[in-house]
Parts: sequence; structure tokens; C-alpha cells
Amino acid sequence: MRYWNSVWKMGGILLLAYVIVRGFGTPLQPGLVEANPSRLKPGLADLELKAVGQPFAEENAPIEGHQLILKSDQDLIATNLTRISPHSVQASVVIPDLLPSPALDAFLFTPSSGTLFLGNAFFVEGAGTGPVPQAFAATPPAEVDPNLGFSFPYQPNIIESIRNLLWHVPMWFAMFFVMGIGFVASLMQLRTDKADWDHRSEAAVRTGLVFGILGLITGSLWARWTWGAWWVSDPQLNGALVTVLLYTGYLLLRAAMGEDERVGRITAVYNVFAFVMLVILLMVLPRYTESLHPGKDGNPGFNSYDLDNSLRAVFYPAVIGWGALCYWMYTLRLRMNRLEYRLLNE
Amino acid sequence: MNTLMNHILFLNNLEGFFFGSGKAHVVTGVSLIILAGIAFSMWRMDRRLTQLENEKNDTPS
Repeated sequence: MRYWNSVWKMGGILLLAYVIVRGFGTPLQPGLVEANPSRLKPGLADLELKAVGQPFAEENAPIEGHQLILKSDQDLIATNLTRISPHSVQASVVIPDLLPSPALDAFLFTPSSGTLFLGNAFFVEGAGTGPVPQAFAATPPAEVDPNLGFSFPYQPNIIESIRNLLWHVPMWFAMFFVMGIGFVASLMQLRTDKADWDHRSEAAVRTGLVFGILGLITGSLWARWTWGAWWVSDPQLNGALVTVLLYTGYLLLRAAMGEDERVGRITAVYNVFAFVMLVILLMVLPRYTESLHPGKDGNPGFNSYDLDNSLRAVFYPAVIGWGALCYWMYTLRLRMNRLEYRLLNE
Repeated sequence: MNTLMNHILFLNNLEGFFFGSGKAHVVTGVSLIILAGIAFSMWRMDRRLTQLENEKNDTPS
């Protein structure tokens, strides 16, 4: 039993060490992020596209095999690549007088990294509306299967911050897990009126709050990077904050009641209510409203397409690792509660 | 240790933008130190609690 106790604790820490090394060390797949100049006029223009992630070409790579094509609605426009470096390409293009749409998407075909895409890369001013003349049309090369090795998927806007998925989401999972323990403990407390269930629920809420606050901090940092604000009025974010405040209320209630013998039963009722609110605020309500947060209505989430196998190989260990750390913290607090109770009552 | 880190970080032959600048090494190192600190303090707390529990069990109430 003692051996197993050490194994799962050490296992959790080792998993988190693996998550840190893999999470920060795995390269990101290349993706186009910036186009210059963003506004074009009909006629000859020089373009530059910048990329992030692992390089899509070697330094001084030959241009052969690479191709940049602009797309206006369904029509393709050929360009002439002039320079390729690991994170940028330069090209010249003749913008026709007629375009189906003034917004141009960019497709960069590479032999090693596959096709890189930037939506609405350029906007053309002063062009008439009509199909692209045949003289400007481009033929896309055959799609190549890229060999990107073990790398995280490129997501526009999220880019390198996709690594935060390994911290933010498992921290909330850990909070749910331990708050669930607290919920069951509170129900048992109400049923049996035994002090040990009260110790369990108190320890669970205290530990869960740590992870809830960490989840809020990592979420706020992520929001600053992807949405440009530390906090936005979003049902998911506000729900998370209200949940944390609700559980803070639980601890305040305990502190306010002091040595009152009813503290166990009253706080158990509060905790049951708080857990129901947690489920409603974080899992039910955001799904019925539009939200910036991934996985909710109106916004694509980390679904089977986004969460590819390389990300899964780190994400699942992260969930187990954070869960183990959270449970270890919970057991420490629980043992402290039990000792304190014994010292005061024996 | 350094070789192992390099092996893990550069599994792909194309050096990435994120760790190409060296920032990822620092972030990884600092995170590992913080994790080791948390693990060590929890392990110490765990041992102290076990000690206290044993003492309490040995003491007749």
C-alpha cells in the first residue's frame, strides 16, 4: 500500500515533467501569419509573406518546388516567387483589373511542409468585378503529404500559445475532479453526519479553489494573447469566475461559523448548491449561448481535427499528471484536517 | 542531461521558431525547477504528516 502510494505520486510528477519538456520543446507546424503590403492595387506588386512555427524551407533553399497562389473567390492568380527563406517568401504578382472578390487568400505550396494558408491575406483596391482573365490564372501543384515530424498543429490566432492547452484545460479538469469529490463528501456528510466527510469536503474545496484560480490565470493570459484582452464578458469566463467566487464563499462561511457545531451540515448544503451551480455555469449555460471560448456555440473548438495525435500524446498525460498532483494536495489537506480534529477532540 | 534535453527538444530536424530563439529552453528549465520545488515541498509535508500520524497513533488517548 505504501509502495503504491509513492508510485502514483511520483508517477504524476514524472508525467508533469514529461508534459513540460514535450509541451515547450515540440515545434509548431509552420503557418502563414502576415502579408505585406496588406492592400494592393491592380498592376505589378511585390509581396512578402511571413510564417511562424518550424521553418518550411532551409536557408537559401531553391525556389523550385515552391509555389505561391492567390485566390479571389474561386479564381486562382499566379505569382512569381523571388526569394525563399525559412520563415518568409517574397514574390511579385500582376494583379488583374478584374477580380471576383477584392479579398485574396494566399496558398503557399512547399515540398517539405505541405500547403500553408493565409485567409484574406491581401485586399485589392480599385479593381472591377469579374472573373480573373485566363492570362493571370494559376494551376495549383499536386498536394504533397508533408513530413513535419512530431509537431503541434498550427492554429491561426492561437499559434504558439496552443501549448497553454496543456496547463489551462487539465487544471480545470483537476478542479472538476476534486470538486466532485467534495460534492459526494457533502452528500455523505448530510446523510451520515460524520465529521470525516466534512473534512473531505473542506479539503476538496480548498484544493479545487487553488486549481480554479490557476485555471483563471492561465485562461486570462491566453485571452490576452488570442483575443487581445485580459478578460472579455463571455458566458464561459464569467461563469468560471462566479464559480470560483461561490467556492470562496464556502470557505468564508466556514470561517464565519467558527466552532459552531452545525458548520458541517450547513456548509455541506452550501457545497452541494455550489457544485450544481458549477455544472450549470461551466457546462450547461455556455453551450446555449454564443461564446468566444473554444468548444462552444459560434466558435470552433479543439475538436478531433485540432487536437491531433501529437497534441493528444502530451495532453492526456497532462490531464493525468495535473489530476494526480491535485489529488495529492487534496490528501495532504485531508490528513491535516483529520489530525487537527483528533488533536482538538481527543 | 544537456544532451538528453537537446535530443528531446530537437527531435525534428527542422529547428522551430519558438525554441530557435532559445526561449523555450529557459521556460522549460524554470518550469521544471518550479515543479521540482512543489514536488519536494509536498513530499516533505507528506513525510511530516506521516510522522505526526504515527506519533498520534502511538500516544494513548
